[in-house]
Amino acid sequence: MIGVLNIGMGNMRSVENAVHQLGFDPLVVDQQDGFDDLTHLILPGVGNFSAAMPEIGTRRLKQPILDFAASGRPLLGTCLGMQLLMGMSDEGGVHAGLGLIAGKVGRLQGEGLRVPHVGWNILNMARPHPIFQGIKKGRDFYFVHSYAAVCEQEEDLLASTEFGGPVAAVVGRANVVGVQFHPEKSQVNGLRMIENFCNWDGKC
Amino acid sequence: MLKHCTACNLPETYETIEFDESGVCNICRQKEFKDQAIDWAGRLEQLGMLIEEYRGKYDYDCIVPFSGGKDSTFTLHYLMKEFKIKPLVVQFNHGFMRQGLLKNNERTFRKLGVDVVSFRPNWQLVKRLMLEALVRKGDFCWHCHTGIYSYPMHVALQHKVPLLFWGEPSSEYTAYYDYRDDEIEEVDEEKFNRSTNLGITAEDMAGMISGDFDFDPRDFRPFSYPPMRELKKLKYRSVCLGSYIPWDVKKQVKLIQDELGWQGDQVEGIPWSEYPYEKIECHLQGVRDYIKYLKRGYGRVTQMTALDLRNGRISPEKARRLIDDHEGRKPHSLPIFLDYVGLTEEEFNQIVAKTVVPPYQPDFNAKYSPQTSDFENWYREPEGNIGPRRRVVPIVNSGGR
Repeated sequence: MIGVLNIGMGNMRSVENAVHQLGFDPLVVDQQDGFDDLTHLILPGVGNFSAAMPEIGTRRLKQPILDFAASGRPLLGTCLGMQLLMGMSDEGGVHAGLGLIAGKVGRLQGEGLRVPHVGWNILNMARPHPIFQGIKKGRDFYFVHSYAAVCEQEEDLLASTEFGGPVAAVVGRANVVGVQFHPEKSQVNGLRMIENFCNWDGKC
Repeated sequence: MLKHCTACNLPETYETIEFDESGVCNICRQKEFKDQAIDWAGRLEQLGMLIEEYRGKYDYDCIVPFSGGKDSTFTLHYLMKEFKIKPLVVQFNHGFMRQGLLKNNERTFRKLGVDVVSFRPNWQLVKRLMLEALVRKGDFCWHCHTGIYSYPMHVALQHKVPLLFWGEPSSEYTAYYDYRDDEIEEVDEEKFNRSTNLGITAEDMAGMISGDFDFDPRDFRPFSYPPMRELKKLKYRSVCLGSYIPWDVKKQVKLIQDELGWQGDQVEGIPWSEYPYEKIECHLQGVRDYIKYLKRGYGRVTQMTALDLRNGRISPEKARRLIDDHEGRKPHSLPIFLDYVGLTEEEFNQIVAKTVVPPYQPDFNAKYSPQTSDFENWYREPEGNIGPRRRVVPIVNSGGR
């Protein structure tokens, strides 16, 4: 079962549909006791960091997510879900994240840069990862975001994209991986990445 | 006057064609890449790994979709001989298979020793589909394009056989899948929607004919691609053998002739002595190629000579002569086809005229091509069954009850 975390915001349904289409069985998780049967967990996301983290707290989901990650099973965050993996964010005030990947989330900045970053953009892979299997260099993925993660450790940055300079597009550490774009909206290459994740054993 | 590739002579009306500064087309350029840059030894190794991944785990090692033409016959023979696989042969019979082809099939199946599933769709529906596709796209073969590519996928699901081998890669002819991308051509729903189904899904087609034709929604199943989830659950792979070995039609035809006694045939509008092996499957091939000529100003001979020119197997002068002597002639199968779809030739011409690709300007008064030797055996629609069976829609009297 591929768990899809529901915190009452975001595009959980389209992620669930993508997982289903790819032949896997998605299970929406919104309670702390729902994690045991999961082989994989996806944190989807559209929304605001400062609303999402308190919501995770209210629903008492923070510890179950951390326990899931500690168990070695694969965990994927997409868009806001990726940012939640980081140590902290300054969106809507300074808030702590899940801290699974060292680094922080800040607003996209640059001379004359139009924020949010919306549309298709190229992925520049910095290091190999099982979720990249079968995806060629220079393929486009669909981004919608105003904030971006900056990794503390260079080896956690798996791929970047160009938007007024390099912007983190894929981050990962051990069994945890996060993508800034929306794979569920990125056509064939995005679906391939979700499929790769669902087939991944969490080892790098 | 159409612009043509300076190397292979394909015209600007050819689908997916582009010309570079020296006037050479992209199909020629991708063929150069095929010859020089693809690591065919590595590809062959990949083929071996793919086959071993699936071998012995299912009722069959793979499915080979099969018409019995040169490409599928070679594919079946090659996989059985080189890799000793146990295949399930799946045939979509469009309804126009010629005697020579059926004899070839018989020889091939008996000699190789294979299990065969053959399927033939509802003829009354097929007639209506041909008419609709002709009117909308100037291509009456929708039922055949979609059936050939979707029906074997349904069989894969029914028999739980996840691996399918198609034959010739489309990169040999068009640039939908460019050899220069250096990828395996996956024969999947993306390809189906991109270049197979004329932009018309089975669901679309059902809606298009629902006004005047009675059908059961299940009639459309053979023409519809199965749900992605089911194929993914099966862990399917559907690929072209020609992504793993360099496709060489002439060499392969020689091989199946020698090993299987495969025989060529006369095809309308094609020089019989020069190209007896191409498109022998269907007695409506002449109509298909004639329409292509009317729409785009080239036909099968141009395609065949283009392939030979790229391989340096024919002189440009001889290619020119073959094209001038054979291409664009009116086929004797035309009146037979017109009775299937219930059109006069005048109506047919008007329909085709609307789908002509500029800047070509067609001439509808071509001479007839020679009759093939099996012409008399081709199925004729009897009086009373001419044209699709269309419902007479009652005029609803809305006043009073």
